[in-house]
Amino acid sequence: MERRTMIYKIHSVIDGQTVFARIDDDGLCRLTCTAEHPPFQEYLKSGAELQDADGVVMSDAKEFVRGLP
Amino acid sequence: MSTLKVSAIQDASGGNTATINSMTPTADSLQGFRNRIINGDMRIDQRNAGAAVNAIGSGAFVTDRWAYFTNATAGAFNAEQNLNSATPPAGFTNYLGFQVASTQTPTTTNAYFFGHKIEGFNVADLGWGAAGAKTITISFWVRSSVTGTHSGNVQNVSNARSYVFSYTISSANTWEQKSVTIAGDTSGTWPTDNTAGLILFFNLGCGTGIQTTAGSWNAAQYIGVTGGVSVVSNASATFYITGVQLEVGSVATPFERRDYGRELIMCQRYYYKVSGDTKWFGIGYVIDSTRAQGITSFPVTMRTAPSAVEQTGTAANYGVITGTTSTTCSSVPTFNASTSEFSAVTLFTVSSGLTASQSIALRSLAASVYLAWSAEL
Repeated sequence: MERRTMIYKIHSVIDGQTVFARIDDDGLCRLTCTAEHPPFQEYLKSGAELQDADGVVMSDAKEFVRGLP
Repeated sequence: MSTLKVSAIQDASGGNTATINSMTPTADSLQGFRNRIINGDMRIDQRNAGAAVNAIGSGAFVTDRWAYFTNATAGAFNAEQNLNSATPPAGFTNYLGFQVASTQTPTTTNAYFFGHKIEGFNVADLGWGAAGAKTITISFWVRSSVTGTHSGNVQNVSNARSYVFSYTISSANTWEQKSVTIAGDTSGTWPTDNTAGLILFFNLGCGTGIQTTAGSWNAAQYIGVTGGVSVVSNASATFYITGVQLEVGSVATPFERRDYGRELIMCQRYYYKVSGDTKWFGIGYVIDSTRAQGITSFPVTMRTAPSAVEQTGTAANYGVITGTTSTTCSSVPTFNASTSEFSAVTLFTVSSGLTASQSIALRSLAASVYLAWSAEL
């Protein structure tokens, strides 16, 4: 298994919960998670970008995640 | 046959190191769950099944419960269960191996290290953070191409308390057993719940700003001993470890052998992976013509509710089974926040053909397909 760089993007809303997808550098999504997922939180804390479902970088990513139920 | 009746057996100095057939029975060493380390013999490798984790990144796990960390350059090490196929020490079949992939010179607060976080419930009896804190002894088998003074630490999760220990590797590429005894910390905060109660790290190279003298408690995080060797600074250097035990008391007793099933289920409290060809992941129901969700029961109550599901990244690896019909997924399985510490809920999506309220089963359709959930510390 190789080390992968990746990005997170919004995947979908399931039962009222926003689900995020981790997209690895080969373009595959190998993980989906909620905003509580610790590596996702670390990712956001590092200032890395979050994309919306259309792949557009969200300028207000941290505020968006903070506002989730 | 004669009978020996005595009220106590002590060593020559009146202490508790007397041995009987090479064993040292003490109140601590005779209790169950002597070894507070899970997978100390590196047998369990759910994530990688013995495959290499090349150019490992910070936070990545190799064998179960053992993770690598760095705050510096990623990819400095390759790691693997039984890396380079060395012969493990007698009595062991597995070890955790690291090999330098990219030589680094750690600057002031750079650190390259790996370790094991023990859940607070499993060290609550140590009574750390107050008077009467119990002494612990850490023992392990280690082998490295780098000889000299190596080190590690015991610390709390807030990084506010740490104790650096050192040990000497005398012969290159030779298994040696080491043990260190550490007086319990009477200060600081040491959680006793389902969060990280005590952390054990082994140093593979760190800067001078996080080095200190070994053998005493510090009110800050130190990773390594002053003047110690730096594995990461040596091209292709290797570091192998197994038989790691952390126990109460001042005596290193033989490695506690636990049956495979018990060790596996202890690991599965923190990470659970279902994998293989035509494995059933769970049963569930159809939501509408394209979506079904299923429930996977965990074999043990997980430490906390997982917040993610891992899968292969290939939708066609997964299928929804209704009666005798198998429908291949059109999207990868997706996490559902209804997942709890008892069971996972996963959404499977197909392009069409399902009927709402049908009963279904979720299944892998190829080899090496998996679903996995983490509740690691």
